[in-house]
Amino acid sequence: MRDVTPIKIFMTGVGGQGTLTATTLLAKTVLAQGLPVTSGEIHGMAQRGGVVESTVLIGCKSPKIGHGEADILLGFEPMETLRALPYLKKGGLVLSATEFMPPLAVAMGKQACPSIDEVKARVAECTSEAYFMDSQTIGMEAGAVQAGNVALLAALCASGKLPFGPEALEAAIKANLPAKLQPVNLKALELGVKALSS
Amino acid sequence: MANPLLADTPGATHLLLGNEAIVRGCVEAGVQVVTCYPGTPSSEVPDTFYKLSPEGKYYFEYSVNEKVALEVAAGATMGGAKALVTMKHVGVNVAADPLMTLCYTGAPGGLVLLSADDPGCHSSQNEQDNRIYARLGGMPVLEPATAQEAKDMARDGLLLSKKHGAPLLLRTTTRVNHLRGPVEFGPAPDPGKPDGFTRSPSKFVPIPAFSRPMHLALIDRLAALREEAEHSPYNTVTGEGKLGIVCSGISRAYVADALAASGLADKCSVLELGFTHPLPETLCLDFLNGVDKVLVVEELEPILENDLRVLAQKNGLGVKISGKDALPRHGEFNITMVDNAIRAELGEGPVPACDCELPELPGRPPNLCAGCPHRGTYFAARNVFGDDAIYSSDIGCYTLGILPPLKAADFLVCMGSSVSAGSGMAMATGKPVVAFIGDSTFFHSGLTGVANAVFNKHNLLLVVLDNRTTAMTGHQPNPGVDKTVIGENDNPLSIEAAIRGLGVTEIRTVNPFNQKKTVEAFEELKALSGVRVLIAKEPCPLYARRVYKKVAPQVAYVAESCVGRHDCLEKLACPAMYRDGDKAAINPILCNGCMLCLQVCGHIKAKKRGS
Repeated sequence: MRDVTPIKIFMTGVGGQGTLTATTLLAKTVLAQGLPVTSGEIHGMAQRGGVVESTVLIGCKSPKIGHGEADILLGFEPMETLRALPYLKKGGLVLSATEFMPPLAVAMGKQACPSIDEVKARVAECTSEAYFMDSQTIGMEAGAVQAGNVALLAALCASGKLPFGPEALEAAIKANLPAKLQPVNLKALELGVKALSS
Repeated sequence: MANPLLADTPGATHLLLGNEAIVRGCVEAGVQVVTCYPGTPSSEVPDTFYKLSPEGKYYFEYSVNEKVALEVAAGATMGGAKALVTMKHVGVNVAADPLMTLCYTGAPGGLVLLSADDPGCHSSQNEQDNRIYARLGGMPVLEPATAQEAKDMARDGLLLSKKHGAPLLLRTTTRVNHLRGPVEFGPAPDPGKPDGFTRSPSKFVPIPAFSRPMHLALIDRLAALREEAEHSPYNTVTGEGKLGIVCSGISRAYVADALAASGLADKCSVLELGFTHPLPETLCLDFLNGVDKVLVVEELEPILENDLRVLAQKNGLGVKISGKDALPRHGEFNITMVDNAIRAELGEGPVPACDCELPELPGRPPNLCAGCPHRGTYFAARNVFGDDAIYSSDIGCYTLGILPPLKAADFLVCMGSSVSAGSGMAMATGKPVVAFIGDSTFFHSGLTGVANAVFNKHNLLLVVLDNRTTAMTGHQPNPGVDKTVIGENDNPLSIEAAIRGLGVTEIRTVNPFNQKKTVEAFEELKALSGVRVLIAKEPCPLYARRVYKKVAPQVAYVAESCVGRHDCLEKLACPAMYRDGDKAAINPILCNGCMLCLQVCGHIKAKKRGS
């Protein structure tokens, strides 16, 4: 294993979105680069529509990230990005989806989600390095809504904050995903990299 | 090709979940018998063994409860088999009776008990610390911190258990069960056949005359195991600083990362204990003698802390030992928390805290799925009983019925308590009690409660929520299922026949999506007294899709005529429904086609899926 400056990535989303699959794909990408990796996830209620938080830590022994520790916050749903903001280290990188998945109280008209502008404004108070993308739309453009997760991962790899680029993710997709899912995810990767620069 | 977890590929490295690593470790030790009762965070261990069982060289079973799981494994290890038993922490309470005696009789074939503890109560009713069971019974304990150690300790634990004939506790916490990390494999030899049983009643029958010498043998075994701990590669000392840090389990990872981040490593010496019981006293004493003061970093109870205090007192050492006065006795630790505790011991200020303030955000509590049959049962029960009845709940997905608007959980103690605690509540209050229990929980520990209720003439309406699987923990089979992910169950036990056999005469079975029939059955049973049972039978929709390959052909939709009363939303709280302007609407992708909402509002109609 190569020695490396520790990088802590906090990931958050909603049960059923496929965030744990994305977490494992990223961890496998890191490992394939010969880097020490630990990732963490919490199961149990994940399939019942609750918040799903997971982590990927490079060069650490712990699987857990505390408040103020994350170098990178990857939000697969914008309100969950906001909820997880306390985990971000001041000035860390935020990559977030923009499309809301309203929880039940919002769907029933009892409460409201914050607006995407409010999410962006709050994030801006903690860091100047934030990217927002319509990852669900990008996923659908690539051929499957879940592929939007790969678009976000691709943007992360293209951000220059990891010790490898999108080609490492491309290799991990080819090595780990079933053949029939590869074209959609490779397309999403391409669109995610493009979205970061636009 | 064999699954990588079973393949004899020493030197290969795979990214594994902690629980998958435990499976691999047991395979490398040549495990022959695996029993369990599923429960988060332990479930992926038995689920992986189950999925691999067609090609694995071991016997596997989902037992009906943890006591039975441990007893089956106890018999197997007495018969010379290397055995693994898995459960969540509260499951060990259920298995405590055989466990305490098994520590006397010993485990000649080797036996590892995986206890998956849950600091922080991610998916549990308490955060009890099961290391205490090891002290109570007299068991060696291994506590991994990484995926590699989860694999290695499972393997070495099983071999050590067999060597000493001592049942061994492999104690994990949620973070270890559910982390992923690289694991380098060792060889996976053929487990061969169990050694067989050697008849020796004085060793295996704990009548008082034999129990007394068994207890002495246990004490001798612990002394031999203490020697093993003194020389175990899992117990290490690093650094030469004057602040001594003693840590175990996942706390070792937090200590390592905290010291790497803070640059304070040269002021500390670290004693990492992976083999934590019996305590390696010589190793610990040498460590205490070499430092000025000690910080013990362990989640939950002050177990190592107290062990070290006793050791210091016995040896007349005045070294200051901190633990629970520096770090909390509840919940999980993290790197920053441990970092700050170390800084405080060294007289340094804490790392700056995050000051960002968030607006209040809508919560996202887990909810019964769209198309969950429990929603139909709860809705009917509420219609018939309202707030007049007290609702006795149990452990499973259906505990989520606690949420409004269904509000179908007023009290809960543990697995199976819906029946027996429900009986007690009805007796003490004289009020109607409606108890809810799932099918797997019924087989786990509901049967005895029903026998007791009939025998003692309790007044209880018991509802068995029979969704044909163990839904909460990931769709494991139970004795009542007819189909599993790897095949048919040819002889499913009938819940109705079991309840009838226990002496209940008033039994109704309904499909909870038929509200008219369900309400009628509740009304009939409400008018009667004594023990009455309603069986609400309908498969979990996630399970139906996965195993029966069944998807409802129709979905519900809200017609143009909707007048915006929102009764459907208010009464059912189905995650497929939402408010669309003044009207209600249904997401056709999320709708499971249960058609419960059609029975609540005439403005909701059915249409062909995809139309």
